[in-house]
Order: sequence, then C-alpha cells, then structure tokens
Amino acid sequence: MGKVELAGSNRQPRRGWLFSLAPYIVIVVVLLALPPFLSAYHLSMLTKVLIFAIFAMSLDFIVGYTGLLSLGHAAFLGVAGYAAGILIVRYDIVSFWLVMPLGILAAGIAAAIIGYIALRVSGVYFLLVTLAFGQLLSAAAVKWRAMTGGTDGLVGITRPDLGLPGFTWTGSSYYYLVFLAFVICFFLLYRITKSTFGQTLVGIRENEPRMQCLGYNTWAHKYVAFILAGLFAGVAGVLFAIFYGIMVPGNLGLMTSASVMLMVIIGGAGTLFGPVIGAGFIVVLERFVSDYVPERWPLILGCVFIICVMFMRGGFGIYLSRFWKGMRVRLWKC
Amino acid sequence: MDVILLHFLIGISFGCILFLLGTGLSLTMGLMRIVNLSHGALYMVGGYTGLAVAKLTENLVGRNLCFVLGILAGGICAGLLGLILETGFLRRLYKRELDQVLLTIGFVYILTNLVQWVWGPVPQSGVVPSILSGSIPLGGVTFPVFRLAIIAFGLVAAAGLWLFQERTRIGAIVRAGMDNKEMAMALGINLKMVFTGVFALGAFIAGFCGLIGAPLLGINLGIGWDALLLAMIVVIVGGTGSVQGALVGGLVIGLIDAYGKAFFPELAYFTMYIVLIIILLFRPSGLMGRKI
Amino acid sequence: MEVLRVDGLSKNFGGLQVFHGLSFTVEAGDKLALIGPNGAGKTTLLNILGGQLPATAGRVHLLGQEITRLAPRHRLHLGLSRSFQLNNLFLNLTLMENILLALEGAERSHFQMLHPIDAQTELVATAQELLESMGLWEKRFDPITTLSYGDQRRMDFALAMVSKPKLLLLDEPSAGLTIAESVSLADTMRQLPKDTALFFCAHDMDLVFNLADQIMVLGSGQIIARGTPYEIQANPKVKEIYLGSEVPSEDVRSS
Repeated sequence: MGKVELAGSNRQPRRGWLFSLAPYIVIVVVLLALPPFLSAYHLSMLTKVLIFAIFAMSLDFIVGYTGLLSLGHAAFLGVAGYAAGILIVRYDIVSFWLVMPLGILAAGIAAAIIGYIALRVSGVYFLLVTLAFGQLLSAAAVKWRAMTGGTDGLVGITRPDLGLPGFTWTGSSYYYLVFLAFVICFFLLYRITKSTFGQTLVGIRENEPRMQCLGYNTWAHKYVAFILAGLFAGVAGVLFAIFYGIMVPGNLGLMTSASVMLMVIIGGAGTLFGPVIGAGFIVVLERFVSDYVPERWPLILGCVFIICVMFMRGGFGIYLSRFWKGMRVRLWKC
Repeated sequence: MDVILLHFLIGISFGCILFLLGTGLSLTMGLMRIVNLSHGALYMVGGYTGLAVAKLTENLVGRNLCFVLGILAGGICAGLLGLILETGFLRRLYKRELDQVLLTIGFVYILTNLVQWVWGPVPQSGVVPSILSGSIPLGGVTFPVFRLAIIAFGLVAAAGLWLFQERTRIGAIVRAGMDNKEMAMALGINLKMVFTGVFALGAFIAGFCGLIGAPLLGINLGIGWDALLLAMIVVIVGGTGSVQGALVGGLVIGLIDAYGKAFFPELAYFTMYIVLIIILLFRPSGLMGRKI
Repeated sequence: MEVLRVDGLSKNFGGLQVFHGLSFTVEAGDKLALIGPNGAGKTTLLNILGGQLPATAGRVHLLGQEITRLAPRHRLHLGLSRSFQLNNLFLNLTLMENILLALEGAERSHFQMLHPIDAQTELVATAQELLESMGLWEKRFDPITTLSYGDQRRMDFALAMVSKPKLLLLDEPSAGLTIAESVSLADTMRQLPKDTALFFCAHDMDLVFNLADQIMVLGSGQIIARGTPYEIQANPKVKEIYLGSEVPSEDVRSS
C-alpha cells in the first residue's frame, strides 16, 4: 500500500533538512500569494481543494499509515459539519471559536463510538462496518428532520463570527482561514506520522501479530489513530459546512466516503502530500469534465481510479516523491 | 394474530430476497477474502437488463414467459460482467486483497454511470408475471402471490445451493478453497478457475434477483449501493462463506425489519443497523460464521 | 529458579486432540529442545505458550505468574519472547526500523506523538550496538528483503532478544538455513546470557545436539521422554516414535 517512508531524518545528512523543507516553503508561499490573481471562481475551487485535502489526509492517516480501509469516513466530516450547522442555524451560536471546537469534538465522539465497534473486526469486515455506520448516520440525518432538515438539508449556514472588529467575510478571507487550517493540520499530521506513535502504526500495518508479540497494544493504537483521523476529518467538516452553507444527508454517506477514498488512492496512500494531490486532481478534473461531459464524470472517475489501483501502486504521490528525491540528489551534488 | 402472520410473511419474503442477494457476496468473501462492492451494482444491472428484456419480449411470449426470460437475461448479463471483472481485473491483483476491494469500488462508479447512460436517471418499476399477480387469502390475511412465489423460490434456491455446497464435488472444492488455499492448490485444484466460477456465480445470482426483487426494492440508480448495503448486513449477521449463513442472515434481517416497521415505525430503517451493531459487539463472526 | 511451568495443558481443535495433560517445567538458564515427529503439536505448544492460541485446558505460569489467558504483549513485558518459524519480520521496513520497533515495544508507553522514534538516542545507541554485533550496521537503511535469508533469520532472532527476555521461544530456528548459516546461528545463540532460558523446537538434530542441554520429546499427544541429549538418543521409546518398532535396535541417530 504505497512506499513506506522512514520515520525521522536519520537517512539524510543533517544539512539536507533545508532541501527537504524547500518544496513546502515554495508551496506555502505560492498558496499565500495566489488569491489576488485568481477569479472568484478559481479561488473558490482552490478553497474546496484545501478542504478536501484536509479530509483526505485524515483518511490517509488510517488507510495509508495504519492500514485500515474505511468506507465510512464521511461520517466524521458529516457529523462535524452538521454539528457546526446546527449550532449556527438552530441555536444561533455564531462565534467561530465555539463552533469549530464543538464541531471537531462531535466528530471525535462519533469516531470514539464507531471505532470501538468497528475495531472489533478487521480487514474486509472493518470496511463493511464503517460503510454501514456511514449509511446509518446518513439515514439518521434524513429522519431527524427537526434538527437536520431531512433530505432538504440544513440550509442557511452562515459564516461564523471571528470576533474581530470590523471584519467581514470575503472569498479571499475564507480562503486564508482554510489555508491556515490546512497548514496547521498538515504540520500536526506530519509530526504525528513521523513520531514514535506514527511508526508503530506503520508497524501495525506491516505486521500486526508481530507487533503484539513485541509488546504493543495494537488495538489501542488503532483506536487512537481512528479517533485522531476522525478529529481531523471534523476540521474539514466544519470548514465544509461553512463553505457550502448547506449540509445534506449524502455528505455522511457512501458516495462521499468513496470519493475521499479515491482521492487518497489516486494521490498516493501512506504519504501526506499524496492525498493533497489527489484532492486537487479530482476537484480540478471534475470541474474540467463538467465543462464537456458532466454526466460521464463518474465513469471517468471510475476509470482513472481503476488505472491507479492496477498500475500505479502508490498513486501520483509516489512519482512526485521519487521525482523530488531525484532532484534533491542532483541539487545536492551541485 | 393476523398482523403477526402478515408481517411474518412479509419478513420471510423480504428475507428470501436478502438471502439471494447475500449468497453471492458471502461466497466471494469466504473464498476470495474480498468484498465485492460492485455486488449491488451487478444486482442493479441485472434488474435493468432483465426489465428491458422482459418488456421487449412481452408481446412475443406473453406476460409470464417474458418474466422468466428477463430474469435469465439479467442473470446472464450480470454473470458475464462478473466474469469480465474477475478475469480482466481482479485476477491480476492476486494476493493484493485490499486493492481488489478498491477496484470493485471503481466498478460501481462505472457500472452505475453506464446504466444511467443507457436508461436515463428516471426510476423504473418492476413487472410481475400475470400468473403471480394479485393476492390470495391466507390464514386470515390477504397476501400477494408474488411474495409467496418469492418465498417458495427462495427456499428452493436455498436447498439447491446448499446441496451444491455440501453434496457436489465442486461444492467440496469451494469449501476446501475457503478453508485452506494452499492445501487446495497442492491437491491439484485449479483455484483460479474456482475463484472465477464462484465470482461469476455470485454475480449471476445477484443479477438474477434484480428483476425478482424489483417490486420490493425498486429499479433505480441508487439501488446499486442500497442492495450492497443489504447484502453486507446479511453477510455480517449470518456469517460468511456458507449458504446457510446467508439464509439465516437474510431471514433474521427480513423478519426484524418487517416487525420493526410494524411495531416501531419510527425506528423502522434502523432496526437492521441495530441488529448489525449487536451482532458485531457480541458475535463478530456472525450467527453461523466461522471465527474470523 | 523456575521460569516456566506448564500444568495439565491440553489442546483440541474441534474433534482433533493435539495433546493432553502436558506438564513440565523450565528452569532459568535451561536450553531445552522440543523434538517429535511431524504433527506432534510442537508448533501448537509454542503458540499456546506464546499466546497466539488459547489452550483448551491447563495452566501456564511464567516466573510464578499465571499467563494462561494473557495477551502476547503482556507476556512480553513479563519476560517471554518468541520468534516464528516462517520469517515474521517487517519485510518492507529497513533494518533500523525493525530494530527500533522492537526496542520501542519493550518500553512501557508507546503513545509519544511529537518526536520521531530515532530521536530517542538510547534506543538508537542500543540498535547500533545490536546491528554492529551482527555485522549488519552498514545495511541499516536497507529494507529487510535485501538481506539473505540467513541474515533475515538472525534479524528475527535479534528482534526477539531485544526485550532481554527470561524465556525465549523459538520455532525451528534453523529451518531453511544452509549448514554454514545454521552453525553461525548456533554460535549466536550460544552467546545468550547464561540465565536466559531457551525453549525451541527443531527438526535439525545438528542444531539440537549443538545447543540443547536437555531434550523433550513430544509424541502421540504426550511427553514421551525428557533428558540429556545422550539419554534421549539411547531411549527406546523415542526410537519407536521416530522409526517405528520394527527396526533393529542399533544406535541410529535420527536426523
């Protein structure tokens, strides 16, 4: 499932850290500087990419690093999004500093409950259980009209208040908020995946029985990883709800879970930037296709996906990773 | 009493459809250790194709025979698709089981979109052969004949599949493959062909019941995922790898769903999931399953 | 000091009874080899002792504490470590990562989320010592799959030793090794600390006679015999188990 990355920088000489940081710096600078040059349409697309990037990274944390295939990850996006939406629409809680943490917390609680049940089984059963829970929550959203608006969705989710005097939301300012969230999430996930805990997740993915014999409580690790993934998905969920202004039951269900899984796989599981690329690829490709043959988008997506699974183990991310490593060696030699 | 009986029959008839849906998935999971997530999509393709064939031939051979032709066409179409999927794609990822599962997700997208391309997004309604239309009085309730026929067919199919599993050589080979692949191969069994055969059979059954299940489940673009979900719940509750598991799972879910809708209408849709969660908490390998 | 005590251990798989009423002890520093015909249940016994399989009946005590139903990870922390018949390494990871994971596992808490695993300098230093002693330090960043099978087996053994166990369980340690590699492995194993008990099952009689100070023979679901290698060699019941009873009673060394 994607090339394994070595934890820590023991591989490269210590001086090389600047080089390994370089691409990140470049990307950050570019993304910071872009908004004035983009139309509202493109800016909105970029915002959407970043939101899905957070969502995809969170899924990659359990799929690529821990080796647990989940088809119910949208449940956490949806729970957070609905929680945020309900707070804003039904309870008039408009402070961002309340809405965001509560949304994330809701996702975390959902992950704690679902994870506890789902992790009683493994492999394909785990996949099925997560799928079932996603659908269960989606059905609950349909049923609970009073709160969620049922199939019509929860509408009128306005951008919450940042508490800054004289501040109003624009497409640009929301983009910067999302971008900030993305950078923070990326940084945190980067630290966690490179940490001891992250390495043990990789060990569990590679050989769980041996990890148990080496003294690890593998269930606890998987559970914690699952909850963490849920929390990060929650971040994406709140941002998602605010971005679109509406939450529908489908956001909790299989279609959304499958889409984010596709992003992870196409971009490359087991790397952090892979899912980011995957998110970008799919969002951009979808906009492109919908200009020409919008009804055939699922067909095209399915084909791309199958090609990636069959021939590009590790998705685009691996090629990028190898390309960059090759570049770095050449640059270092200069 | 009448109400109990009515819902009992409703539950059993729904359960038989669930059994048929679940069998293919269960066998594939038990033998190949992968979840064929396109199982529901194959059911859908079978339903659409079968309906199209039935409508086409209705004037030629009459209301009853066209139905039979329809279900056969649905089954064969789905079976062929299953064959292509397995030999062309899944087989090439031998031993990459999680990748195989991912592949089947891709198939769902493709199949659903192809169906939409051909038949459009409007839901269709199923047909019932005239010989099986209408209702008959039964122990104080009137009950649709078609549903009775489903029960009869389901039980006959269950018996047939069980005999196939337990009493035929091929069935023994399949069970051997489920227990111990290496051993089966060492005994000279061509496991690849067994895999393909089981997969295609599962697809055939799914497609076959596409038209049969239409009056109960409908024929629309969403049924791909819906049917998969139902099949999955049946498989988890009943246990994988055996016909009896799928039957038990199907009947249990069917009955619980029927009584749930009757007595707890607010919870109706969730009764299935509640059963699923209970089973997972206390008996993850399913009611009749081997230990995972 | 008694390291392992097994009381009345039985194991059935459905209707098949593998063994029944096994009882034996292992003292600190014992080097006990378990031999027996194929299918006698050697690996099953090892799996029960290691925690991978549950026993049908009976009890297992490690250093005085009952571990019959304890999960493998707890057994490790109590002092029991094992390696496996087929390689059970992290094949896609590098040597360094394998060793670090093993070293980390022996620690008590593993949920540190902020720093990379190789920032723990004592761990890295221990890993370096270990790899250097096996002559594999240069290959530390290579994936396990690039090693020869013999080196992989040594790594497997190293991983099992990392937690400084009181009892080491090995399943066919020299399976698949050439004679030279097997001798090399025996040398490595002889360097075990004196008080580490070793309990291993093997078919390789050269290894057994080289390494074990006691042999236990498992056959027909029972312990047929236990004693020093020469006692076992001369034991008629053992010969019968391996060779059947219609064989002239010459001193045939089973191999």
